[in-house]
Amino acid sequence: MRKLVCIIIALFAMGFFVPGSVSAADPIVIGAPLSTAFLYGWDAERGIKLAAEEINAAGGVTVGTVKRPFKVEVIDTRDLEPGVPVSEALLGLEKLILEKKADFIVGGPVRSEAALAAMDLLSKYKKVSILTTGVLTPAYHKKVADNYAKYKYCFRNTSHVGVMMPEFVTLLEDMRKSYGFKTAAIMVQDVAHARAGGEAMEKALKAKGWTVMAPKIYPTGTTDYSVGLSDAGKNGAQILFLWMDMPESTILLKQWADMKLKCIPIGFVNAAEQPGFMKASGGKGEYLIVNLVNGGNAPARITPWTMEFVDAYKKRWGLEPEGYGTSSSYMAVYQLKDAIEKAGSIDSEKVITALENQDLMGVYGRMRFDKTSHQIIPSLDPKEGAVTGIIQWQHGKRVQIFPPKVAEGKIILPPWMK
Amino acid sequence: MDLLVYGIINSITLSLVSLGFTLVYSISRVPNFAHGALYVAAGYLTWLFLNEFLGIPYLLAILLGVIITSLVGAAIYQFILVRIRGMEISEIIATYAIGLAILEGLRWGGLRGGTFVLPAFFPGSVNILGASVDYQRLIIVGAGVLTFIILYLFTRFTKVGLAFRGIAQDERAAMMLGINSDMTAVLSLAIGSALAGLAAVLLLPLGNIVVEGGYNVLVFAVAVCVIGGLGSWAGVIVASFIIGFAQILTEHFISAHYQMVVALLAIILTLLIKPSGIFGKQKELEERV
Repeated sequence: MRKLVCIIIALFAMGFFVPGSVSAADPIVIGAPLSTAFLYGWDAERGIKLAAEEINAAGGVTVGTVKRPFKVEVIDTRDLEPGVPVSEALLGLEKLILEKKADFIVGGPVRSEAALAAMDLLSKYKKVSILTTGVLTPAYHKKVADNYAKYKYCFRNTSHVGVMMPEFVTLLEDMRKSYGFKTAAIMVQDVAHARAGGEAMEKALKAKGWTVMAPKIYPTGTTDYSVGLSDAGKNGAQILFLWMDMPESTILLKQWADMKLKCIPIGFVNAAEQPGFMKASGGKGEYLIVNLVNGGNAPARITPWTMEFVDAYKKRWGLEPEGYGTSSSYMAVYQLKDAIEKAGSIDSEKVITALENQDLMGVYGRMRFDKTSHQIIPSLDPKEGAVTGIIQWQHGKRVQIFPPKVAEGKIILPPWMK
Repeated sequence: MDLLVYGIINSITLSLVSLGFTLVYSISRVPNFAHGALYVAAGYLTWLFLNEFLGIPYLLAILLGVIITSLVGAAIYQFILVRIRGMEISEIIATYAIGLAILEGLRWGGLRGGTFVLPAFFPGSVNILGASVDYQRLIIVGAGVLTFIILYLFTRFTKVGLAFRGIAQDERAAMMLGINSDMTAVLSLAIGSALAGLAAVLLLPLGNIVVEGGYNVLVFAVAVCVIGGLGSWAGVIVASFIIGFAQILTEHFISAHYQMVVALLAIILTLLIKPSGIFGKQKELEERV
């Protein structure tokens, strides 16, 4: 009998019979809803896992007086796949919260429509989320600013179209000054964000006095761009502005190189972000300028942490950071760690306050959230805010060429343009 | 003149993509909705042989890719379709499901992203009548024309080809003459799948191998076949040229945005005006009855 009492007391001491008790090793669960069949999904997953592994190896997250590890639960939302409804992503997110008991959400949903719809779920379950990939619409942070009380759980540590377009225009204006360019052709994919990007660029460049051809809008899956490229050449375009997230855009670049068009392609081209793009394009992607949205998605020396991250990523996954979503997803886990430690708790309200007051030098610059919209504060100077990563493919490598403060090289024009 | 050049290339590309689908339907009456999936599978297999099994020459990798795709096509009929032959809705559902399984299986197996590419046979381009055309597209045009000639000769001067035509014209009469209907259907699936594979190894070096490509190929193959008349060879050629030129002219004079709309609009118009398609004679007879 005495033995039984001792066992019961010991079990109590270990916390077995205390409902909801937290043992020293209880992990903090990060739920990652991602479209894992696509670059913006799988690279985010790798970034999140790498950061969690690093933090766990260093002892975990200090919550009050307890060290707790991160545990990553990934669910494939498939929201970037054609024809998959938004509800699929929402079900995935709800599963992460209810079944996987996620304490925080990091990553997606990746598609804008899905992420915007997910904000209500995050609010309903009071789960703090840091959006790190996909979603370039300004509507996300505007929604937070317009109804802070409801959507205060939603943060975004990556850039958006409202920042990317002025950065593109600044870059193009610099090129006009350097090379005398004044004519641009625009080719975009027939999806909402790309059409909007094309229209915005047309307006912005016309306002600056450029001659701009009407945007050519291509259906997803187009495999021949000869006519559009030929028209661009005939109209004397010097800039070929692209906005496409379909893999077939590689064909466009191959045709551009074969035609030796006297214009330089610049834009948001998903297929050209990955390190393997140069091989995939047979070397014909050389000179292409691509916006990787955030710094650190390709090797660069933005902050001391940037190359440390690049090397760690290479060591863990066998290749350089792959593209948009990599550095931001990695960074979000560290931002969360910092906020939890400062809050001394995983309580959502306390973590929100800690994230709002956060000031952290990260992989792509100074990481601070706007207190009313929860959007990461951008800058062209890494000491002031999060910087973009605009690169040019030079000699088969991705070289950061913008913003000037962190540029690793200058723009090189194709030899047939000289 | 460049519109003429690009129009011809686009038309022959479309006909090459649709040929296998038409061949299978004309002989076995099976609408093979796994056609697009077989196209992607052939490309991926060729890529695997070329990149994973080092030392295999490109031509051998292509041959292996096409042959295996052909065998998969034959197996689809032999093990699945033979049980539901003649039940049209079931055939559509089964082939579509097989296609989905193949494509999603490839995705699950690692075919993700845009870095899977086949090298062009001859890199570079040439100027034809003021239009810049890469050599690969010239090879596609040549291979497309050659394939049509070979298939024409095959169906008229070989025993198997004549059996194909016999089954296509009147299956029961052909069976009474000793032609094995199921064996002919197996062969038609095998050859149709090989044609999907051939189209893949010719067209994929222009871009990259992606799962989504399978759905696009299927849409265009169906569009061409519906407009030309299901099962009609001449229809494939005419419909390919109609859609091919319509797309190029639309891109130049209206907007590239409407390229897919043009193809779908052509299907709707055909179904409204001549539901059997331009050369769909057998269906036309049924409609008259």
